[in-house]
Amino acid sequence: MTDPDPIPRKAAPGKPAPRRSIPLALDDGGSMYVSEAKIHPRDVDGMFQRLRTVAVWWLLGMYYLFAWIPWSDGSGGSRQAVLFDLPARKFYVFGLNFWPQDFVYLALLLIIAGMALFFFTSLAGRLWCGYACPQTVWTEVFLWIERWCEGDRAKRIKLDASPWTRVKVLRRGGKHVLWLVFALWTGFTFVGYFTPIRELAAHAPLAGSGQWSGWETFWILFYALATWGNAGFLREQVCKYMCPYARFQSAMFDRNTLIIAYDPMRGEPRGSRRKGLGSVLERARGLLDKATAYDYVFRAAHHHTAADNLVAARGNTSVLDPKAVAEPLPSFEPAQLGDCIDCTICVQVCPTGIDIRNGLQYECIACGACIDACDQVMDKMGYPRGLIRYSTQNAIDGRPTRVLRPRIVLYGVLLLALLAGFAWGVTHRSALIVEVLRDRNALYRVNEGGGVENVYTLKLINKTMAPQRYRIALDGPDGIHLQGGARTVQAAAEEVLNLPLVVEAPPGVSGKREVRWQVTPLTGRDEAASAAAAAADDATEVSVNFFGPIP
Amino acid sequence: MSAGGTPDFDHPPRPMAQRVGAILWPSFFAAGVSTMVCFALLDPLTLRDATFPDLDIGREAGYALGFFAFWLATASSSLFTWILLRPASRFNRRLKGD
Repeated sequence: MTDPDPIPRKAAPGKPAPRRSIPLALDDGGSMYVSEAKIHPRDVDGMFQRLRTVAVWWLLGMYYLFAWIPWSDGSGGSRQAVLFDLPARKFYVFGLNFWPQDFVYLALLLIIAGMALFFFTSLAGRLWCGYACPQTVWTEVFLWIERWCEGDRAKRIKLDASPWTRVKVLRRGGKHVLWLVFALWTGFTFVGYFTPIRELAAHAPLAGSGQWSGWETFWILFYALATWGNAGFLREQVCKYMCPYARFQSAMFDRNTLIIAYDPMRGEPRGSRRKGLGSVLERARGLLDKATAYDYVFRAAHHHTAADNLVAARGNTSVLDPKAVAEPLPSFEPAQLGDCIDCTICVQVCPTGIDIRNGLQYECIACGACIDACDQVMDKMGYPRGLIRYSTQNAIDGRPTRVLRPRIVLYGVLLLALLAGFAWGVTHRSALIVEVLRDRNALYRVNEGGGVENVYTLKLINKTMAPQRYRIALDGPDGIHLQGGARTVQAAAEEVLNLPLVVEAPPGVSGKREVRWQVTPLTGRDEAASAAAAAADDATEVSVNFFGPIP
Repeated sequence: MSAGGTPDFDHPPRPMAQRVGAILWPSFFAAGVSTMVCFALLDPLTLRDATFPDLDIGREAGYALGFFAFWLATASSSLFTWILLRPASRFNRRLKGD
């Protein structure tokens, strides 16, 4: 790659002073394709980084531990608290069990997740990206490992450029070994949510008896590979090029949404200075007006400073404006300078490699690293914190912020309603499913006495995790009755019963009649009272057709 | 790697017919092929009996429903691809009123 424009601009009298300037990007040998440079985020400490660390421990803690929690299965034994038993088509989440018939709740859960995303994005920006997205959470852990093996940003960049010495092989190799172990453990845990994890551990290839099945091995390796690739290599490229949320976040943003924002009125014009110059908040210059401040940002984005070139900041697209021409920046007296000292640390800490001073960009995952970094610098300079801060566009522009606005209220109400509906629905699910299938072979048959018989299969599903007894009865017109009368059946916990039953009509019944099956749970009541209650509300009724000869 | 990184090239928006066409036409084609393969192996009437036996859906209606379901899926995928391929400048615009 050639050097950035080495020819300084010549200063005309009364015109802006010389300033090194390079185009936004250089043509890479005539090709439009520019390969991604690896981003090495600089280590940073501060409130937001500590919050993110807490989020990583909390979320990954749940992921790695929940699979190991045992839970009573209702009949004296124990099962895994969270288990998605695909072969049995049953999901267990702590005390709840879900059957294929409960699929609607999964759909509802997805809608709730979507609505929560809308609500929190409108309110506080991309909280999801910064704190909860698996992509960022696992990337964070992989970065910790990388930092532990290879050192901080400067050391990693140096190591990247160095030839393959023994130290490089050891540091790189160590990193990949740790990454792979962690990725394999992640894949193992993932499969442990579908196959009981304790059995899976007992069947581990080197651990003990037996082997993993082919599919278990495949999915463990597949998920490990995905973790390794996404968190180790793709990282911010997933957010920038693959994530749809980054693209449509702007539909949920407005000027009252919390964003990570640089305050150009306070910070511009940026520049290094000698120690001793106070903050603009404490000296005569004060805040710039908005138009001048944004113009300086625009110019700085197009005419990189020497400091920018050192860190190779990327992602300047927010101030691409094909119609506007960026004039070079004049040189400023120290007294004119804003509070940004152009140290570029906010760029160096950014995991997506953008310059937040250019304004909100879709690449920003709202991790807050630049806030923490800038606050540290402001502390060192003796300036008040908050040159980069969590704020709203309105607040940055000096206008009042409205938290309660129509979209927040609308999303909030919808979210609450959906949550309430979900909670009510899940806790009030019917504990019994009754399905009636007609015999497929014959519409009806006539028995020796001239009566007409229809054969049905009654499918009873006891969805509870306890044994149940049910009373089965039939209510039909014209003397149509259940052969042998009403009866009681026993179903074990989560058992599916298939009962072939014969319904009989007296001779002479013809054509199509409607009959009603009634199934009443009996457990915990005395039989006589139950029989009386059988026709009452808590019976599950299914109406089907009864066919006789055509008259 | 240059200091800028992002190529200094921003394709202007393409005509509406091209945008819509590039989403609907490949997805239409893929949906057609998928429908053919799917219903060469499956009878719509079997599907109906397994799902909504009470509804009166004939074979023709089943084929049509299947095709449009496939098209919905493939067109969604094409739309997603289009969104991801839009240049960053389409998203990183100035706020209205600035």
